[in-house]
Amino acid sequence: MKWKRKGKLFDPTNFTLLNGCTEFAQSPQTIVFSDFIRIYFSTRNRDDRGEYISLITYIDMDLSMDKVLGQAEQEVIALGELGTFDEHGIFPISPFVDNNDIYAFTCGWSRRVSVPVETSIGVAISKDQGKTFQRLGNGPILSSSIHEPTLVGDGFVKKYNGVYHMWYIFGTEWIPKTSTEPVARVYKIGHATSTDIIHWEKEEGKQIIPDVLNKDECQALPSVVFHDGLYHMVFCFREATDFRKNPKRGYRLGYAFSKDLVNWIRNDSALADIANVGSDDWDTNMMCYPHLFSVNNKVYLLYNGNEFGKYGFGCAALID
Amino acid sequence: MENLKWKKLGIIFNPKKHETPEWMSEFAQAPHVLPFDNFFRVYFSCRPKPDANGQYVSYSAYVDLDANLNILAISPQPILALGQLGTFDEFGTYPVSVIKEGEEYRAYYAGWTRCDSVPFNTAIGFAKSSHPDAFERIGNGPLISYSQDEPFVISGPKIRRFNGQYYLFYIAGCKWVLDNGKPEPIYKIRLATSIDGIHFEKVNKNLIADKLSEDEAQASPDVIFKNGKYHMFFCYRGGKNYRGKENGYRIGYAHSTDLINWERNDDYVGIDVSSEGWDSEMISYPHVFEMAGKTYMFYLGNQVGKEGFGGAVLENELL
Repeated sequence: MKWKRKGKLFDPTNFTLLNGCTEFAQSPQTIVFSDFIRIYFSTRNRDDRGEYISLITYIDMDLSMDKVLGQAEQEVIALGELGTFDEHGIFPISPFVDNNDIYAFTCGWSRRVSVPVETSIGVAISKDQGKTFQRLGNGPILSSSIHEPTLVGDGFVKKYNGVYHMWYIFGTEWIPKTSTEPVARVYKIGHATSTDIIHWEKEEGKQIIPDVLNKDECQALPSVVFHDGLYHMVFCFREATDFRKNPKRGYRLGYAFSKDLVNWIRNDSALADIANVGSDDWDTNMMCYPHLFSVNNKVYLLYNGNEFGKYGFGCAALID
Repeated sequence: MENLKWKKLGIIFNPKKHETPEWMSEFAQAPHVLPFDNFFRVYFSCRPKPDANGQYVSYSAYVDLDANLNILAISPQPILALGQLGTFDEFGTYPVSVIKEGEEYRAYYAGWTRCDSVPFNTAIGFAKSSHPDAFERIGNGPLISYSQDEPFVISGPKIRRFNGQYYLFYIAGCKWVLDNGKPEPIYKIRLATSIDGIHFEKVNKNLIADKLSEDEAQASPDVIFKNGKYHMFFCYRGGKNYRGKENGYRIGYAHSTDLINWERNDDYVGIDVSSEGWDSEMISYPHVFEMAGKTYMFYLGNQVGKEGFGGAVLENELL
């Protein structure tokens, strides 16, 4: 595949964001309207105890993504109530347009004691063109189950041939801490289907994308687009430990394609054009949280760079 | 119709009165009976002493009794290990409900994890075995977890088989209320059904109407079929300040002909706290069963089973 790097699109440290957030624009995900693109992402604030809280906002860009037209002016979605799955943050949020209805699939964060966090997927609906979302119920629509014991998150939904497909991640284990590493999660990409957006049938513990690193490879943020007769998936992956500051073990982008939405063939080299080699840039040390979408039949990829998107996101365009 | 009449039998089993292993130092909570030919087994949940931070873990175990309620055996080890790091049942397996299916024993239990903003969360797990002394999980995750209308604290499973179908009665949290700044869970009695005992469909309905207020917490939905209808014994408490006599657990009753629609009638239950002794402040976690032609209730007293479980025998008929 031939891609053209468009470079960094948005740096949150150059903007005054909603909620007083000054950094992080993680996991950009889009709704394409007729004359602009709304790009949702997670920013971070700190709570009373100095702990991070992920909050949702968006910017609007023109269709060629050359300039920022505006940004969210009110809270896009509130965090969950005391003790609920999304009390301590929403990251990421994935909007989904279904005919005239605008939904968002949220990955809610809830803090734990023996491990930092547990996540589940919720759903919310918007009645104002995606400016704000209201959750449908205080609980999640997709959560842990017998063979997906922890960390269900990163839901991304498309409707193909009358069926809703969700790609998401599930945790397989937590690796105990060592003298040098905190507890470390391992998660894989899974798939579920639905006929009504609310009730989902999992494949229950089935990892749909093979590992290339090792069995503890962590896979995240699956994003799918149909183009030229094939289903294309871009996701990110990394080593389970020592991934935060060591660029050799940090997030990189992965790719797989499918003809039937059942069997996926992994071929990360299809993204070779996007990798920035040689120069020191915003995405040299890390590439993560990809989002595929199309505008007028042209495919684009948004993604985060160094430090998990602390300094924003950039774009690449599919040329061929 | 005459209300039920129970003759209290006192404490049946208190781990503190026996030579028990460290993990069974105290508590015998949520008794649940499985009958065998020559004895009957009471599964319950117990705890070691709390850790340096005052926090408990809980294990499930059993005690075998004869028809005169004499103790024949106490389980030498927990029937199920705690879950792995970061999983839903890392810090406790309480309560447990066991059913025999062919030659297989199946355990449904609540798994406990510790949280940051609230003290804990629970979900229902599943384990099985070819013998009733020790069980193995079929996976590291829960069988019944949080969902849109059941956001947290999925607990208290009681598995039953009626008319060729499995009925899993359980509780689901609906909100955490603050009592002097401390979060306390409110939960209601719920139901899920299944053909195979593994794949469950939630009914998504509160089965039992509130009596105290909408902040009433309800637990231990224990169902028995007798004389043409289904009888449910359960316990309920106030939303706040419930660790003493005033708002502590009491035992309630409801009946149904279809297992979905229940008529609450606590007056009928005929059992209340005693004026003094081990069950003078609260009574909870009822389990009603028949043995050798008699109907018994095992239940917990003060401090929700810290001193073990006790019993009562029915002196009239469950109608």
